[in-house]
Amino acid sequence: MCKTESQLIAEAKAGDKEAFSMLVENYQRPVFSVCYRMLGTPTAAEDAAQEAFIRAYQALDRYDPERSFATWILSIASNYSIDQLRKKKVTILSMDSDKHAWLAPPDPGPSPEKVALDKEKNALVQAILADLTETDRAAVILQYWHDYSYEEIAETLDLSSSAVKSRLFRARKLMAEKWQEMQLISAPNVNSAVKRIAHETSTI
Amino acid sequence: MKHQQYENWILMDEELGQEQQRNLHGHLKQCSQCQALYQASHQITHLLKTAPEPAPTVGFSTRWLEQIDKVEKRKNRLILFIALGVISLATLIFLSTVGFELRSVVGSFPQMLFELVTLITNWFVFLNQISNIITPLFRVGAKLLSPVWLYVSVFGLSGITAAWTIAFYRSREMQKELG
Repeated sequence: MCKTESQLIAEAKAGDKEAFSMLVENYQRPVFSVCYRMLGTPTAAEDAAQEAFIRAYQALDRYDPERSFATWILSIASNYSIDQLRKKKVTILSMDSDKHAWLAPPDPGPSPEKVALDKEKNALVQAILADLTETDRAAVILQYWHDYSYEEIAETLDLSSSAVKSRLFRARKLMAEKWQEMQLISAPNVNSAVKRIAHETSTI
Repeated sequence: MKHQQYENWILMDEELGQEQQRNLHGHLKQCSQCQALYQASHQITHLLKTAPEPAPTVGFSTRWLEQIDKVEKRKNRLILFIALGVISLATLIFLSTVGFELRSVVGSFPQMLFELVTLITNWFVFLNQISNIITPLFRVGAKLLSPVWLYVSVFGLSGITAAWTIAFYRSREMQKELG
């Protein structure tokens, strides 16, 4: 029988780790995604996502069932990643790095060309996010990949809605400037990747 | 209209009204700087929206279960360590308190031992003195008295002592009964 999320949470609160591991199974992808976008490497993302779930399990008694579990768990993952970035000053990898390879392919059996393009897009994303502050980066990630409203981002990052608005505005400006800089880079792999994206948008 | 306003419209995350859109597009045709910013902004939005979602490798939740087991074991070890520490500290405090209370007794022990040894030594000296007095008397008595008189004297003295002791105990019992 398939259990509901609230049943799993109740069982996990009672100390059932197996029940919580079902929640981990359900939310591993968005949590890993946030950690990966924040920290830039699959290894760091795996560690951060694991730690976020451990913290969530340990803090389950403080979880308010009125609140969305997804928002709560992503809030833990985002804040943990922000802390990691501040502590270790994790550097987002450059376009040339091989470490942008997936830990797992996004769909079973993608073609080599698709894998290469995904890697390329991924590297561009990380290069663009690299110049943002930790909190701005988290706000961008939550808005663009998780479709969070200003209020949800504010709740997740413990900011006011107006602060989120101004942070996102500043982040968009910085990203646009970075993109313009990248268009001028002579490195062939960067240049071709940027041109490809520009071509994709012009054909939409 | 100021250039800054167009930049705000480009970077803002809100829908523009028809009039504002017309105004912006009119400006973009004339301003290459805003045109570049507009394109960059759109290209980035497209890139972010189309970038594939990263996913962890298979077995993430199994690895999480292993991790949480390790974390809980570590936590239990820490709790045990703290409990042992607290018990050790409590024992130390208890022993210190008891030791402090016993200090006076322990401190006077050598004095008590000295007094006991002195008492025993005094008794030995006293008995030695008695022995020194009685032995010559026995020697003289043995020479002066015949064995028959000696036995009579010893048994006589013993009899008197026994009679005196019995009388003493009887008188005490009578006093108890009357009392």
